Amino acid sequence: MSLPRSQYDPRRVCLNPFPNVDFGKHRRTVGVYLSGALFALAYWVFLDACIISKHAKAPWGPPDDPAPAPVHVTFVDWIPGLCSLLGFLVINLIDKDRVRGDENFGDARAVWRARLFLFVGFALMAGGLAGSVTVLVIKYIMPEYPDAFKYYGYANVTQNVALMLSVVILWMAQNTPSEYEYNLTL
Amino acid sequence: MAAASIRTVVFLAMVLAVGFLMIILSCVLWHNWLPLLVALTFVLAPLPNAIFAHCGSDEFSASYDGVNSGPVDLGRFITAMIVTTGFAMPVVLAHAQVIHNAACVMSILGGGLVYGTILTYSAAFSQEESEFD
Repeated sequence: MSLPRSQYDPRRVCLNPFPNVDFGKHRRTVGVYLSGALFALAYWVFLDACIISKHAKAPWGPPDDPAPAPVHVTFVDWIPGLCSLLGFLVINLIDKDRVRGDENFGDARAVWRARLFLFVGFALMAGGLAGSVTVLVIKYIMPEYPDAFKYYGYANVTQNVALMLSVVILWMAQNTPSEYEYNLTL
Repeated sequence: MAAASIRTVVFLAMVLAVGFLMIILSCVLWHNWLPLLVALTFVLAPLPNAIFAHCGSDEFSASYDGVNSGPVDLGRFITAMIVTTGFAMPVVLAHAQVIHNAACVMSILGGGLVYGTILTYSAAFSQEESEFD
């Protein structure tokens, strides 16, 4: 049995199968702007939940029976976002040309190391996402708080999804062939 | 051309004034001066772009539009973050019932006008600059 000829080196396990979307000339600019907007949006959604949790100290429930709010945003809710932020920094500190696997220049082991750190970065981001879902389920859904408190958990998941989208868009935008390479290949 | 550009500048100044008026009204009408932060945010928004735009333009990359450098991307990233902050902050404040909902809408509209004015002005300005080359 013979394997079909593939476009890539078949010994590689981790490919980077990002689609080649064409936004035209400005796709790098648009991608970077979009990524920054998503990043800020992620943190504002989470801060919104934090601020509302802080204000929920005021009498919660009917006016004749003021009870304290049953649950607050604590440090546990911050951990997935911090993981995602760490992964964001790790992924963006990698030289993109190394990961693409041009082993013609530099030493070949740099490629291996770059891929390892890319894996670590994406593992941190996926860990943050999974952690946010865990916090949502364990802290907010299982004790069956009212919807106003489940919002804290949903905001956490939204934050991590937006951070992941942001890093993927930034990666795609910066991986596009630059004008210089474009001119060379044409 | 000169008369048209003067007319444009006057029009942009008026739009800017209307934007600031809306932001200040959103503060005054409810005696809560927090929406004024929106004006500050949108005024600061083009600053990172302006600072980092000169980092990537050495002789070599300038001929290829200088879009390929990390600092320029960082500037754009921070600018997009600040603009999003400007839109998100009134919404968050209104959601936490610190400011009134109408104040939130007014400050967002005013901030959009201010930032649109800055964008339009810089676009018109760079157009005039390129005529020198």
